Amino acid sequence: MTSTTDLAQTIEQPDADSAAGPSMTRLLRPHLRSFVAVALLQVIGALAGLAPLLAVVELGRTLLSPGPIDHTHVWTVVTAGAAGLLVRLLFTAASAGIGHLLDSRVQLTFRRQLAASLGHVPLGWFSRRRTGELAKVVNEDVSAVHPFIAHAPGELVAAFVVPLVSLIYLFTVDWRLTLITLIPVVLAIALVPLLMLPARTREQEAYDAAMGRIASSVVEFVQGISVVKAFGGGERAHRAFLTAADDFVSIFSRWVRGMSAVAAGMQLALSPPFVLLVVLIGGSALIASGGLAPADLLPFLLLGLGLTAPVAALGHGFDDLQSAGRAVGRIKDVLAVPPLPEPAHPRPPQGHRVELRDVRFAYDADHEVLRGIDLVLEPGTVTAVVGPSGSGKSTLVQLLPRFFDPTHGSVLLGGVDLREIGSRELYRRVSFVLQDVRLLHASVADNIALAMPQAGRDDVVRAARLAGIHDRVLRLPRGYDTVLGEETKLSGGEAQRISIARALLADAPILVLDEATSFADPQTEQAIRRALATLSGDRTIVVIAHRLETVADADTVVVLEDGAIVERGRPTDLLERGGRLAAFWRSRQSAEIETHGGVLRGDEPR
Amino acid sequence: MIRMLLRVLGDEYAWAMRRTVILMTVTAVVEGLSYALLVPVLRALLGSTPADAVPWLVAFGAAVALYAVLRYISDLSGMRVGTTMLRGMYHRLGEHLARLPLGWYNAGRIGEVSVLAGRGLLQAMGVAAHLLAPFISALVTPLTIVAVMTAFNWRMGLAALLAAPVVAAIQARTARATAAADAERHERDQEAGGRVIEFLRDQPLLRAAGRTGERFQLLDDSLLDVQRASRRTVLATLPSAVGLTLTVQAIFTALLVLGAHLALGGNIGAAEILAILVLAARCADPLLSLSDIGGKLRGARSELARLEAVLRTEPLREPREPIQPAHHGLEFDAVTFRHGQRTVFDEMSLTVPEGQRLAVVGPSGAGKSTLLQLLARFYDVDAGAVRVGGVDVRAISTEGLMARIAIVFQDVYLFDGTIEENVRLGRPDADVAEVRAAATAARLDEVIERLPAGWETNVGEGGTLLSGGERQRVSIARALLKNAPIVMLDEVTSALDPMNEAAVHEGIEHLMAGRTVVMVAHRMRTVQRADRIAFLDGGRIVEEGSHADLLDHGGRYADFWNLSMAPAARE
Repeated sequence: MTSTTDLAQTIEQPDADSAAGPSMTRLLRPHLRSFVAVALLQVIGALAGLAPLLAVVELGRTLLSPGPIDHTHVWTVVTAGAAGLLVRLLFTAASAGIGHLLDSRVQLTFRRQLAASLGHVPLGWFSRRRTGELAKVVNEDVSAVHPFIAHAPGELVAAFVVPLVSLIYLFTVDWRLTLITLIPVVLAIALVPLLMLPARTREQEAYDAAMGRIASSVVEFVQGISVVKAFGGGERAHRAFLTAADDFVSIFSRWVRGMSAVAAGMQLALSPPFVLLVVLIGGSALIASGGLAPADLLPFLLLGLGLTAPVAALGHGFDDLQSAGRAVGRIKDVLAVPPLPEPAHPRPPQGHRVELRDVRFAYDADHEVLRGIDLVLEPGTVTAVVGPSGSGKSTLVQLLPRFFDPTHGSVLLGGVDLREIGSRELYRRVSFVLQDVRLLHASVADNIALAMPQAGRDDVVRAARLAGIHDRVLRLPRGYDTVLGEETKLSGGEAQRISIARALLADAPILVLDEATSFADPQTEQAIRRALATLSGDRTIVVIAHRLETVADADTVVVLEDGAIVERGRPTDLLERGGRLAAFWRSRQSAEIETHGGVLRGDEPR
Repeated sequence: MIRMLLRVLGDEYAWAMRRTVILMTVTAVVEGLSYALLVPVLRALLGSTPADAVPWLVAFGAAVALYAVLRYISDLSGMRVGTTMLRGMYHRLGEHLARLPLGWYNAGRIGEVSVLAGRGLLQAMGVAAHLLAPFISALVTPLTIVAVMTAFNWRMGLAALLAAPVVAAIQARTARATAAADAERHERDQEAGGRVIEFLRDQPLLRAAGRTGERFQLLDDSLLDVQRASRRTVLATLPSAVGLTLTVQAIFTALLVLGAHLALGGNIGAAEILAILVLAARCADPLLSLSDIGGKLRGARSELARLEAVLRTEPLREPREPIQPAHHGLEFDAVTFRHGQRTVFDEMSLTVPEGQRLAVVGPSGAGKSTLLQLLARFYDVDAGAVRVGGVDVRAISTEGLMARIAIVFQDVYLFDGTIEENVRLGRPDADVAEVRAAATAARLDEVIERLPAGWETNVGEGGTLLSGGERQRVSIARALLKNAPIVMLDEVTSALDPMNEAAVHEGIEHLMAGRTVVMVAHRMRTVQRADRIAFLDGGRIVEEGSHADLLDHGGRYADFWNLSMAPAARE
């Protein structure tokens, strides 16, 4: 069952639990009953709202009818009208309340689903996207769905049902005046296609895109604020932001200008004075010709305005609904990104020997970063990877925690392809000190225990001591409970030691250190060496080495150039052989000589 | 509300705004008054002489036409004011953000500012474009109608007028009741926004820690908080919305009862009472829409308040009469600087004569980077003075100060754009030859040759598409191009690739030649190249002198040196 064909099949099958494009309907199905309740309550409430208007109509009929006035009938009518108002109040309030509470639940579901989905997509997918735009999907786009959830089911349904009922009633009163009353509605509907011209749709899309650019440029602006400051002349340094803003404003005004005449026409057609004017002109003509009882004009004056509700609702909520629709589209796009496949039948690795077999990898189809890597990392050894920037070192080690899957060949851990190991199992075995040290906006203890949330305080402290950061932590305002980024900011070296403590605590049998020596101060360098010394044993360690000391301490050195291994062996052997590593060694030494020389030459102008 | 809008915007928009408000009010009054014509029309139609309705109907038609024209003009004016203000606001915000002290920017700010610049501004400006007209119309039209009703029948009018104070009281109460819930909700939204960005940006870290399989607690907690806060907002707004509806409906019921009573008593004609009830129905709808519009207005208002808070944050003060520094020497004179509650510098003094190189050494967190930031006036000191060329940095214009300083940062941040654009940031008016020369001196040319798109290569957001070493070279080239007399190096060598380290040292050498240099270095070997070394600890300079002097002295620096030179201990 573990033949290669099986492997192909297993990786085809996405984990049932992961987000392999769950449709909106599937996300919304659990809430179906609430949606129905919201709609029903709203419809009942809105229909009851007709009662007082009908009461006025009935009052008119009674008062205008020849002969003595039936007092009891008048008071019954008034009571019925008041009762209708009360029902309307209770039911619409209940509907709105439930709708909005439902909305907050649905938004939570969406955001959780998005987070789950984003937590499983291949990391490579992120490098092509901007954080700001993605964050906008999770935050603002989900919020923009609000009218769909909180308003559409209730108000929109009511906006159609109530006029329909009114229309039927009005037809029974007088069909000619009913048709006349519909004139404003027809006028407004006739204008609707003008709102949906391709040009308008294009402007809408441009509008959304411009908004996204603003979000991204702001993130960039704030993150790069120190550069903005250092290079002064604010105007030009943050021009990306201002350009995005200007773009947005001009797209916005173009959009508004394109819409304004049509929108004004629609709004005028639907406005109460205009509708009343039409009804009165038609009504007076009919009354004058004797075709309509004067009392029958009243229902048209009172209910006729309500007939415009669906068009008004569409026109009014149209923008919101349209932007909600586009937001849903973007949410769907993110949910539809296929996750890094999980194995259907995970296999446990035997031991922790790591083997790369003819591994090739490309971020883009036309540019291979790794070109056929064969490499074995034996347990109990330290392997140093050395190479110029852009040689593929970082990519190589990132294959181990399966940030990416190789485009060709395979990475095996304990004899098992990484793609056949469950992610939980994999992360238990591989820990990682990243190139860019990142600390979470959380307490020091939580940061250290990131991979081991269940670890006790003693274990956290032990790891911190080993990483040489314990004393510094004790000097923080609230020790291990200090929230980083909020109560304090750590320097680069301190942050790095936290991340080393993190790796030490994780205590995984395979450790990947990526450019961990950058930003290092003497204490941090010591901490790294101590960590490596403590951890070696039967662990498999791979280090992207920047320092000769680290290279010299390694059991094996691998020199990487342009995505291929050009040299490998024991550091001393390689140095004796006089190849690439030796050249590197010499260039490094000359760098130091030059450094000293620079001082000794004393050529600076005084 | 409008006053707040104008305060945030400044006076230049006041006139256009006021004109728009007046236009909208006039439109609403015209609408209300046009309904007055309904009464004679209905009196005629419902009475015995329907033909009398015609002249009144013509008058009503004319009033509707006037209303239509006014409404179109005022809507357009609202839109125009809205967009103009939006543009002005973006520029104002952008320029203000660039002038705020760096200390203002903490972890939560990215989320806050991005929400503000995105949804926030649009919502705030939407007041003029979309909300103002319905709001004014929903208030003014019913009031005008009530006045009309009073003119025809004072009892009915008075009864309707009863609604006014109650509606006003409810609006006021709603504002108060929801303010707290809204504020809390906004805070939660922002927290969640920050968490989402963290979650996205730290994916590699979280994955390596195996924390994306189950729900990531920190994010999920904040999402749950958002849900709870939004539920509380709903519950806080609901009573007011119900109260408003109840009031409007109660008044309508009262009018219905009163009308029936008056009609039955024969005090008033049936046609008249029916016309007034039709008018009353015309009052109810706009008033009911108030709770909806009110909610949106409150949302916009709190966005405006946040915008105002940001714009009110004091930027670094510009000197009124900037002084030109006479030379390029640097001086810290008894500088005390606090960051939050922590005292970073405590009466620290230090001088760097023009053309000298000073290396700053010390344990992590001693404030080495902060020292550079004070020189560049990213912050202002709490006591003492930082001087460049003998002049307090607060007396030099920001432009003037920045023109003198080139900084190479510890965290290299590149803007999303091409390599060329990022290098040119150093001096936008540099010619091609100068840009190429800077790149060659920083050994960036090698990187560019290797990249398929060369100078046009996009560096990605923050420069993430380049490796650390490549980013560093871009930033050195940028600093070289700037050709400033004072150079600050914040751990430049840290991310360098050893294979090419000699080459990059060459670039730094070019950068430092003939200039006043302050460098922060963790690698002790780099430090040796300085004329003088200052050892920083506990907010003060504890040792100062040349490398040889300090080693002889056998103090803190010597310990540091020995620690870093010690061979790797591997048991």
